[in-house]
Amino acid sequence: MKIVAAKKILKANDQLAAENRARLDAAGVFCLNVVGSPGSGKTTLLEALFAQLKDRLKPAVIEGDIAGSIDSERMERIGVPVVQINTEGACHLDANMIASALKEIELKGIDLLAIENVGNLVCTAGYDLGERLRIVVLSTSEGDDKARKYPAIFQGSHAMLITKTDLLPHTDFDLERIAADFKRLAPEGAVFQVSAVRGDGIAEAADWLADKCRGN
Amino acid sequence: MHELSIVEALIDQVRETLEQEGEKGRVSKLELSIGRLSGVCCDSVRFAFGLLAPGTVAEGAEIVIQQPKAACNCRACNVPTEIDDLVIECPNCGSGDISIEGGRELLLQSIDIEE
Repeated sequence: MKIVAAKKILKANDQLAAENRARLDAAGVFCLNVVGSPGSGKTTLLEALFAQLKDRLKPAVIEGDIAGSIDSERMERIGVPVVQINTEGACHLDANMIASALKEIELKGIDLLAIENVGNLVCTAGYDLGERLRIVVLSTSEGDDKARKYPAIFQGSHAMLITKTDLLPHTDFDLERIAADFKRLAPEGAVFQVSAVRGDGIAEAADWLADKCRGN
Repeated sequence: MHELSIVEALIDQVRETLEQEGEKGRVSKLELSIGRLSGVCCDSVRFAFGLLAPGTVAEGAEIVIQQPKAACNCRACNVPTEIDDLVIECPNCGSGDISIEGGRELLLQSIDIEE
C-alpha cells in the first residue's frame, strides 16, 4: 500500500523556527540572522553596529562556528552577552540549535538578538532560525559576481551589507553591478556600503537596523 | 548542501508517518520531490540515505526522486521560461523584471509499504 504523505522534509525545522519567533516576539526581542562567507567581516560589522547603537539598543549574540570561541570572546570583550554554538562540522545553524541557545539568554534584558551564522553562502540559505530579518554580508574582496553564483542566499535576504569598502581601490569590485543583481533577487532589499575599520556607512546601517527593531 | 541532516529529517518524517498511520510493514519505496532550485543534490541524498537508513524503519527502501522545474515569468516580454537554475534575468529577453515560481520543493510525497 501507499501512504500519501506530501510533507515538507524540513517541517520539524520550520516548526521550531516558528516557536523561536513566537518566543522572541513575546519577549519583545528583534532577531537578526547574519549570513556571509568566512572572512566577509560579520563579527567586525556587528562590533561596529553595536558600538553605534550602544545608547539605543541592548543586544545579545549567538555565535555559530564549526569550532572554537574566537568570535564569542570578541563579543565578551565589548560587553555583549553571547552564547557560542559549535556545530562540530555542520555547515549551518538550525532552529533546534537556536532553541537550545535561547535557554541561556536573559531575553528580558535585551532588544536585539543577532545570530551570526556559520560562514557559508550555500547551506545557511535553507534554514529558517526564527529571525525577523536576514542580512547577507559580502566583502569587496570576494568579488561582485557572488549574487549570480549564490543567488539563493541573496534572494532570501532583507539587506545586503557590502563590507571592506576601504579596499575598493585595490579590487575590481563593481558596486553598481552587485547592487543591480541584488535588486533583481530581492526587490525590497536595502543595500549598505560600509567600512567597519574606517567607520564609513556604519551610522546609516545602524539607523536602518534600529528602525527595523522598532517595527518600522 | 547539508544532505545528511536533510536525510535525518526525512527518516524522522517516515517514522512519524508510520506511527500516525499505525503501519508496521516494511517500507519498500519513498517518493521524494526535490525542486531544481532547492539547492539539494539528489546524488548526495541517495548517498546519505545509504549511510543513515540501516537500522531504521526506512532500511532497504528504494528512493524515487522527482525534480520539479521552476518557471521564470517575465513582465517585459511575457514569455514564461522553464529554468533549472535560479536566474536573475529573463533567459528570453534579458530583462530583470522577473518573478520565479516553484522549484523549491523539498517534500516526502509518499511511502510504499509491503503488506
